Amino acid sequence: MTAFVLKRLGWMAITLWVVFTVSFFLMWAVPGGPLDQERALDPQIEENMRQRYHLDDPLWQQYLRELSSALRGDLGVSFRLADFSVGEIIAQGFPISASLGIVALGFALVLGMTAGIVSAVRRGSAADVGLMAAATVGIALPNFVIAGILIILLVFLWPLFPAAGWGTPGHLVLPAFCLGAPYAAYIARLTRTGMLDVLSQDYIRTAYAKGLPGRTVILRHALKGAMLPVVSFLGPAIAGILTGSLVVEEIFAIPGLGVHFVQAALQNDYTLAMGLVLLYTTLLYTMNLLVDVSYAYLDPRVKLE
Amino acid sequence: MKAMLPYVLAGLSLAGMVWALAVGRLPPADFTFTNGDEIKTVDPALTTGQPEGRIVWSLFEGLVTWDPQTLEPRPGVAESWEISDGGLIYTFHLRPEARWSDGTPVTAEDFAWSFRRFLHPATASQYAYEMWYVAGAEKYTSGEVEVGDRVEVELLERPPGALPFAGGKILRGKLLAVEETGDDGKGKTYVVEIGRRRRRFRKGAGPGAGGVEPCRWVLYDFRRVGIRTPGRHTLEIRLKHPVPYFLHLMGFYPMSPVNRRCVETHGYPAWTKPENIVTNGPFHLKFRRIRDRVRLVKSPTYWDRENVHLDVVDALAVKSYTTMLNLYMTGQADWITAVPPEIVPDLIDRPQGDFRPIPFLGTYYYLLNANEPPLDDARVRRALGLALNKKQVVETVTRAGQQPARSYVPAGISRYVDYRPALCEPYDPEKAGRLLAEAGYPGGRGMPRLEILYNTSEAHKAIAELIQSQWKRNLGIDVSLANQEWAAYLVATRKQNYQVARAAWIGDYLDPNTFLDMWVTGGTHNHTGWSNPEYDRLIDAAQKEPDTRKRMAYFHQAERILMDEMPIIPIYSYVTQSMVRPYVRGFYQNIQDVHPLKYLRIDPEEKARVLAEEGLE
Repeated sequence: MTAFVLKRLGWMAITLWVVFTVSFFLMWAVPGGPLDQERALDPQIEENMRQRYHLDDPLWQQYLRELSSALRGDLGVSFRLADFSVGEIIAQGFPISASLGIVALGFALVLGMTAGIVSAVRRGSAADVGLMAAATVGIALPNFVIAGILIILLVFLWPLFPAAGWGTPGHLVLPAFCLGAPYAAYIARLTRTGMLDVLSQDYIRTAYAKGLPGRTVILRHALKGAMLPVVSFLGPAIAGILTGSLVVEEIFAIPGLGVHFVQAALQNDYTLAMGLVLLYTTLLYTMNLLVDVSYAYLDPRVKLE
Repeated sequence: MKAMLPYVLAGLSLAGMVWALAVGRLPPADFTFTNGDEIKTVDPALTTGQPEGRIVWSLFEGLVTWDPQTLEPRPGVAESWEISDGGLIYTFHLRPEARWSDGTPVTAEDFAWSFRRFLHPATASQYAYEMWYVAGAEKYTSGEVEVGDRVEVELLERPPGALPFAGGKILRGKLLAVEETGDDGKGKTYVVEIGRRRRRFRKGAGPGAGGVEPCRWVLYDFRRVGIRTPGRHTLEIRLKHPVPYFLHLMGFYPMSPVNRRCVETHGYPAWTKPENIVTNGPFHLKFRRIRDRVRLVKSPTYWDRENVHLDVVDALAVKSYTTMLNLYMTGQADWITAVPPEIVPDLIDRPQGDFRPIPFLGTYYYLLNANEPPLDDARVRRALGLALNKKQVVETVTRAGQQPARSYVPAGISRYVDYRPALCEPYDPEKAGRLLAEAGYPGGRGMPRLEILYNTSEAHKAIAELIQSQWKRNLGIDVSLANQEWAAYLVATRKQNYQVARAAWIGDYLDPNTFLDMWVTGGTHNHTGWSNPEYDRLIDAAQKEPDTRKRMAYFHQAERILMDEMPIIPIYSYVTQSMVRPYVRGFYQNIQDVHPLKYLRIDPEEKARVLAEEGLE
């Protein structure tokens, strides 16, 4: 197990380096640069700025300089939010995106799994059809539509929650719901499929044959096996949900990382975009590692090597 | 152990969430406004646009400030000034009671140092060109020096006892020669006579061969730039040529002073942190939360603190217009700086009367690439202009009371300065067809396909589609649409890689020059390739003309040429976007949509009444 984790960490370092390199050159390949803005700069002033940011150095020199400072843990200063270093931006935005993500995820898991179990157990019933229809709608509806409907209902018609902002638990509810809804829908469908699969297995029949009550069979014996597809989905989903969502953060004015992600790419903010890509890679990799480890925990047949 | 894992994870997540929320909790502000996208910086020299301007104007105060109603220059740190020598020399008398937030007085030296920093190539300020009216300033920023100039050499080492981020030691002398060295021809060795000694300098780190000393910069001597401090509280600025709007410009936010001690102690960006920053304006920086808010509190050291009414102000970083409106409607914001365009007509009809757009100093227009056929023919360009029904654009697409533009300089400027824009011909599809026929494309036959380029946005798309159909109907020509992301669009227009492109210009100051000087041959923003020697001559004459009436006449003639040859098609003039609660006093609509926080105050009774009426709180 330790050897497995160490090996995977080694691969993670290599992956990070590859991602760094590819992103670096991709960013330089797109038209425009971090200094481009609506107002064209006077050529002299632009020259001064290019010198300040070393943009005129040969590309390989810039690459080596960026790589060595990234290795030292220094991600540089953002071009667009010039008063802050990339580290500061991540340190401020990540806890916010993450806590919103955790609430959204908790909500998605509870709702999704309950719905999935119910429809698997009551297969073909009205409850099954209704829940799965709701899940399909949840997947199909973009979250800005859900957000719009919720704001009209729960902010304006029935003023329960604040319209936007950050700072109280009330500020969390609507965005977490919007963020979690599509995940809940996916989880519901995955749980249902996994559950149906498991319910037809021999060991479940054995459990029933032993005379165990239905509740115990489903929650104790079937659920564990049914969770495997959900868990593999959760790895990348957690990485995605923790780094924030552009749409939800913009609509509810939440100072998380999601907006930075898109803005940095659009505005050619090389340093910030790079920092976020590396953060996302690390998270995605870590989550996948955790998923693999938890397989061994959930399914005794899986051995980590 | 294994069984504990899920609980440990859940516990950690919960603790993290409580912490993230606890950090978010704040006592409420007296006044809250939405400030658009997150600001780039609070360093005046590095600012780029209006959102930063609103913050910088609150934290710092320049020599003059703008009247919130008329935008005329009013005393700021300077309590009075004289203009002499035919408009060339400005002498500012600073008020002795002006203080920095650390309690030290604001002196003329502070301004001279700040302007120097603003102009210095190492600062790389994008607004530096606004100060190039000052004698020698452009030369200082450019770093170009000629033999015979007085120069200043900044050495690598700092003078003894200097602060950690101070510049290097400065030597002054006369430039005797510039030797091209280095294999790439980039290396230059500057031979400078300093105190009767010839010394050789080279920019860069290590010492070179032959007694060449390393240095940071060799620049035109700042003492020759027209900024002087004859007294502790007297600042004298000498211009290259008379600039009627120079006083107004001195109130522009990038011209705010910064505190030398603070900047040199902490360096950029550390000096802009709330715990380090030293400011001289009506408000202090309490804290900044990225993409959340900037909190400002009333300054106890500001000279005019008796007339500052707000104690705590929040500037929210909100990008989405719909979110801005939601915050406004639920009473969480008192002033929003933009509204969603789709519902503008409904907002104008609100009985509260809190959204009243007025003309704004900006023009939405189409660039025509005059270098390539068929748009190199002025008749074709004019035909496109004549066949564009601007009234329909503002009535069916923009719908916020924008005025169809018949001139490039917005007509609203006439309320502030004595300028009547030169108008282009009104909508006339028949005449357009005749002109196109004259150019060899009767009924649009034989006309190459045109393409309208715009940066990706629903609003620009809707306008482009309408114009596409108008040109098809009125001229019989085929037009396709192309959209690109912002960065790519900028590159395409700059490289003149387009035929017709959407563009907009917001004036920096109240003078036709901010609109018209950009179309001179080779101008930084002239992406049309259009060039007219008479136009260049008129703009140059206007810039040098001290007499206001003659000056405006030159500008008018120049705009006449621009409208006749039509390298650009003005489409509509912008309107202001501010929506403000009626209980906010001291808020005046003006053409630059500038509303200094210093003058704002809240009428508490009115506020209680308005909020109760709308069922809020």
